[in-house]
Amino acid sequence: MKTGNENAGMKMMNGNEAIARGAYEAGVKVAAGYPGTPSTEVMDYTHHYYPEIYCEWATNEKVAVEVAIGASFAGHRSLALMKTVGLHVAADALGGAAGSQINGGLVLVVSDDVGRIAGDDYNDCRHYGNMFNIPVLEPSDSQEAKDFMVRAFEISEAYSTPVILKPTSVTCKTTSKVVFDNDYKYEAKYRNIYPISFSKVIMTTIMTKAKGSEHPKLTKCFNDFVANMRRLAVDSNESELNRLELNGKKIGIITAGTPYYYAKEVLPDASFLKLGLVNPLPAKLIRELEAHVDQLYVIEDGHDVIEKNIKDLGVSVIGKELWPKFPDMMRFTPDVIEEKLVPDAPKRTPMKDVPFRLPVACAGCSHNFISRILKQHKIKAAADVTCGLIGCFPHMESYQLQKCMGSSPGLAHGYNLATDNKEKFVAMIGDGGFWATGINGLLNLVFNDSQSTLIIVDNNCLAMTGGQHIASSDFGFNYKQENRLDIAKMCEAIGVTDVVTVDAYAYEELEQSILNAVNAKTNSVVIVKKPCVTKFKLPKETPFCIDQEACIKCRKCINVGCLAIESKTKNGEVEIVINEDICTGCGLCSTVCPTEAIKN
Amino acid sequence: MMQDTGKNIIIAGVGGQGILLFSNLLSKFYLKLGYELKISDVIGLGQRGGGVESHFRYSTKPVLSPFIKAGDVDYLISFEQTEALRHLHSLKEEGVIFSSTYELTSTSVNTRLQNDLAESKMEIINRTENKKFIIDPEKHKSSEFDISKMMNIFMLGYYTEFRGYSHDEMIQIVKESVPAKFIEGNLKAYEKGAAVAREELVTA
Ligand SMILES: Cc1ncc(C[n+]2csc(CCOP(=O)(O)OP(=O)(O)O)c2C)c(N)n1
Ligand code: SF4
Ligand code: SF4
Ligand code: SF4
Repeated sequence: MKTGNENAGMKMMNGNEAIARGAYEAGVKVAAGYPGTPSTEVMDYTHHYYPEIYCEWATNEKVAVEVAIGASFAGHRSLALMKTVGLHVAADALGGAAGSQINGGLVLVVSDDVGRIAGDDYNDCRHYGNMFNIPVLEPSDSQEAKDFMVRAFEISEAYSTPVILKPTSVTCKTTSKVVFDNDYKYEAKYRNIYPISFSKVIMTTIMTKAKGSEHPKLTKCFNDFVANMRRLAVDSNESELNRLELNGKKIGIITAGTPYYYAKEVLPDASFLKLGLVNPLPAKLIRELEAHVDQLYVIEDGHDVIEKNIKDLGVSVIGKELWPKFPDMMRFTPDVIEEKLVPDAPKRTPMKDVPFRLPVACAGCSHNFISRILKQHKIKAAADVTCGLIGCFPHMESYQLQKCMGSSPGLAHGYNLATDNKEKFVAMIGDGGFWATGINGLLNLVFNDSQSTLIIVDNNCLAMTGGQHIASSDFGFNYKQENRLDIAKMCEAIGVTDVVTVDAYAYEELEQSILNAVNAKTNSVVIVKKPCVTKFKLPKETPFCIDQEACIKCRKCINVGCLAIESKTKNGEVEIVINEDICTGCGLCSTVCPTEAIKN
Repeated sequence: MMQDTGKNIIIAGVGGQGILLFSNLLSKFYLKLGYELKISDVIGLGQRGGGVESHFRYSTKPVLSPFIKAGDVDYLISFEQTEALRHLHSLKEEGVIFSSTYELTSTSVNTRLQNDLAESKMEIINRTENKKFIIDPEKHKSSEFDISKMMNIFMLGYYTEFRGYSHDEMIQIVKESVPAKFIEGNLKAYEKGAAVAREELVTA
């Protein structure tokens, strides 16, 4: 960005903070979202630094997008935030907005967890750009993250379209310099030019069937989204979002996001087309680069989205045949590019067999109690997307089924149906997953006469993403005690036959409640309460320790999944020990020890 | 100071060791010296107890890649043995290792899903041709600060001494960035780190 301004401010920001700053400079009025690594902090920064912007963690991503659409139709710039798995949930909402009339700019910030650094599936939100024929912007660093946010809103209004801004785990979590205008005064931008905005279905019906009619009742429904995107495709050749850097004639690289910097560092003399707008593509610039160099390469993180779109233009590029994608490669690095394009570069290989770190729950986590009871009683169960899914990993083996967020009530119901309720398949879900979409699964199993049991882990927040508030939390951006929802009351209102609430640390009571619920021939809910130990920094009890004389090294305690329990090798002797700096004194491990070696 | 045109540093460890604070404090220092910076944080798969690494680059020229290419690392600062091993191959020949002897056994080893390395990890580190500084936190336990929580600030004092930077400036940054109630302990940890480095550098 050329500020050319005496009052240029400068701050080191990570991508998330820069996006928040961009939202502020764009004059956003409403921001709604749902947490998801790596972009959760966009909302936290927005709320913290820019109180002018209304912030909301919605119940799920679909609702967040709908809130943003409503605010945009009212004339105000609006933002919806989520990660790509969240856009799968919200895809129908985005589809409804795509191609329709846009008043206040509508931007979705959708992050891709490239490299699965924090444990996501291998997703790529840019497919939605193709599917819905909407623009996608991809910043390479924090400066661009901020600047592109402002541009995204301008594009949204100028071409009447929702816009996706895609940061990745690398852009979100990389800190670099951001220059901004210190004199900037926030103003909520307002633009209200369309009295109606319907989904494409309504508009296309009218537009295709009533062609040629000039009746204002009809023409006000016309929104030629196809022409809008064609116009953007043409304009993208002149846009400062895309940059052609013509240098050496051997290698031409088309790239976007942080891979631009990897390639630039490894191949400083190559020619580049650096894309900021990755959909639609600037065909003219691509052809110009093609004409300038001997060989074109495309270097993009995620799926081969740009690559396929370039190939569709009839331009031949080398991409995934040189760098096979998942599972061969998680993400680009400078090393991967060097290996293939700088043949004589020295090769460095990481040391083999350095042990992997499987995820574990925090010491004292309520999920460990539930995992333990399910396993002990050989209760078959589905986990949800929660910290509790650690119970699915091979060291825990507490769950047999786990799919997407909010799915476990539906999964259990389906299983019990198919097995005529003979196996009592149980569902576990977090309080967040429950409100997000799991509540639909519960409704469904109630009115379809299911005998399933749902264990709801009420830890007062969305723990896995760092402790954001939900409908039943006792805190939050817009928290008012009178608006707080109660999980037990909700379950009763839905018609669940049997609802009990139990403290996670009351081991025997918890065990009995789960067994009662499982054995009942009705639907049932067990609410397991304990605030997230880490988020709420619960006070610690005296740590436990292992009496080495009594320990027979059976490792049962290790399999409760607590971070504090380790096996250490000292002078060739293995010892199972509790790390007293980490142990919270919850006592769970002592319930599994056959020799009562674990004491406090 | 500006004759140093820049360095590439990998800071590694496990969750909860304050690695991000360490790199944040360092960034404030280099910013004051007028360097360009890029710092990329990679949080491992683990919810808790997973690996954490920070790629820290400062330079007199704009920094391009947020990740440091293997072979380009000047300093590897590791707060945990196993995590140090993951990055040994990335060091330049003249690259320097700073590593704590602390070890958090990998879950996969605890649960016997994977075998631990047959050889002692510290021996592997000691065998490298790189210059190295090994710090055993057990040896520096003190009643004045909790080294299990403040190894990051200890290491900051150590690193500042090693680089010959101004302690006053670094301490100022620590004071500005750490919550008031932790300042005292952290400064003790800082000073201890600096003192230990001073001794090491004399004998080295
Ligand atoms: C559709 C979707 N949106 C967001 C996420 C990111 N995400 C993963 S876990 C999680 C929080 C889960 O919270 P909760 O259900 O309360 O379980 P807890 O971790 O607190 O046990 C979120 C938001 C996701 N995986 N899928
Ligand atoms: S963050 Fe909270 S819910 Fe998640 S593992 Fe830790 S204590 Fe359990
Ligand atoms: S008592 Fe056992 S299970 Fe509980 S935190 Fe300590 S080591 Fe972990
Ligand atoms: S469960 Fe008891 S006997 Fe078995 S390893 Fe743990 S402490 Fe030792």
